[in-house]
Amino acid sequence: MQPMTHEQAVDLAAAYVLGALEAADMAAVREHLATCPESHVEFERLGGVVPYLLDTPDLELVEPPASLGDRIMAAAAADLATRGAGAEPAPQRTIAFPSAPEREARAETRTGRLGWAMRIAAVVAIVILGGWNLLLQNQLTVAQRFDQAVSRVIRAAGQPGSQTVVLTPTENNQASGIAAIRPDGSVVLAMRNLPATKGAEVYETWVIVGSAAPVPVGDFHVDDYGIAATTTEPTHAPPGAIIAVSREPQPGSTSPVGPIVSTGVATAPSS
Amino acid sequence: MNDRNDRVSGRMASPADDADRAVLLRVADGQLDALQDLYDTYRTMAYSIALRITADASLAEDVVQDAFLGAWRNAARYVEGKGSVKTWLLSIVHHRAVDAVRRRRPTVELPERGDVPPSSLTLPDIWQEVAGNLDREEIAGALGSLSDVQREAIELAYFGGLTQQEIAVRTGTPLGTVKSRIRLGLLAMRRTLVGDDGSDDPANELGTP
Repeated sequence: MQPMTHEQAVDLAAAYVLGALEAADMAAVREHLATCPESHVEFERLGGVVPYLLDTPDLELVEPPASLGDRIMAAAAADLATRGAGAEPAPQRTIAFPSAPEREARAETRTGRLGWAMRIAAVVAIVILGGWNLLLQNQLTVAQRFDQAVSRVIRAAGQPGSQTVVLTPTENNQASGIAAIRPDGSVVLAMRNLPATKGAEVYETWVIVGSAAPVPVGDFHVDDYGIAATTTEPTHAPPGAIIAVSREPQPGSTSPVGPIVSTGVATAPSS
Repeated sequence: MNDRNDRVSGRMASPADDADRAVLLRVADGQLDALQDLYDTYRTMAYSIALRITADASLAEDVVQDAFLGAWRNAARYVEGKGSVKTWLLSIVHHRAVDAVRRRRPTVELPERGDVPPSSLTLPDIWQEVAGNLDREEIAGALGSLSDVQREAIELAYFGGLTQQEIAVRTGTPLGTVKSRIRLGLLAMRRTLVGDDGSDDPANELGTP
């Protein structure tokens, strides 16, 4: 790009301080301001006025939806968790498909905490499991798709009375994810690292309450990137319920036939 | 209105500004509850500005999320003395909102203009506000001092996300006229806000026709 002269830059000052230039011109003026030794009083003079436009009395004040704050806080928590992570490999935590007594014991240890803190904790857990490492690996499409799926979950988790679930891989699997159980018992699920299915194979979501038999709540397919976003049928899923994902040879299984690839425990909403 | 002369002499930092700066320091330190505080203070303004510019609720949400995450990651780059935290933050919102509407408009901006950094990496330039904190009535007065055509040009630029060339086309006005409307409009606002238009430096009076 041809460097801009001082006169050219000053000529664009008013449009520049309002952001009313094309990107290339904005960049050229910015470059000029950063390198030109002359005084740029015109920019200060005009630019100092611009903030008051933001307080213009004819700006209609509109409250954003409550879920937006949750999304932002969760994304910031995820960002925070990646800062220290660097290139360290994600710790490989595995949770085997739990037995009924284990499930009951686990359910008892769950305690409800405050709204967004709980949801952030869930997202941070995903980060620790390597979800956001995707970004570091430059797998942008995968990261963006997963991010979209997670956004849906976080939005659902923002509803009063929703529970959150962090799904971790079972042994010899990599599939992990996050889910929100809405007050009606439907599960909004975001999964990643799911192996591709073959033939009639589908993934099935199961809800297991106490020592009762697993209840199938909805099957789903995985995309080309190993990402799945789905919302299941409503079911009874109190805090402590196990959410499990299995790969089934065909749709319609009434009890898990294929391997369970990922599981997690429903966590009580804030009271 | 009577204390305007006090303000002219220098920018008044209000207690709210000081509190904001304390919050922003904690944001820079990676404290999530500080970000929550900042969000609670400015979410309505931020969302309203984004909505006004994008005229699309879902896009406005994305813009606000993007802006607060930008603030979260770049809080350490806020420079005291160039403007309040409020100005800094809302300028980021404005900047991202304009980016968003321009990206959506196919007629402008071709991305292959190689040396322009991705928008997510640039923060808006901000300058010290001319008179510190004013109430809406005073700002209404300043806006009221503009002619209709000046006001239209500034609003199309700032809230419409249009470039000065696009404003010229939209309003059927020569580019040079649009440039001087914008500039003279901003100077008129400045005159109303601080009682001068800063034009005592003759070197800077020869800007546009």
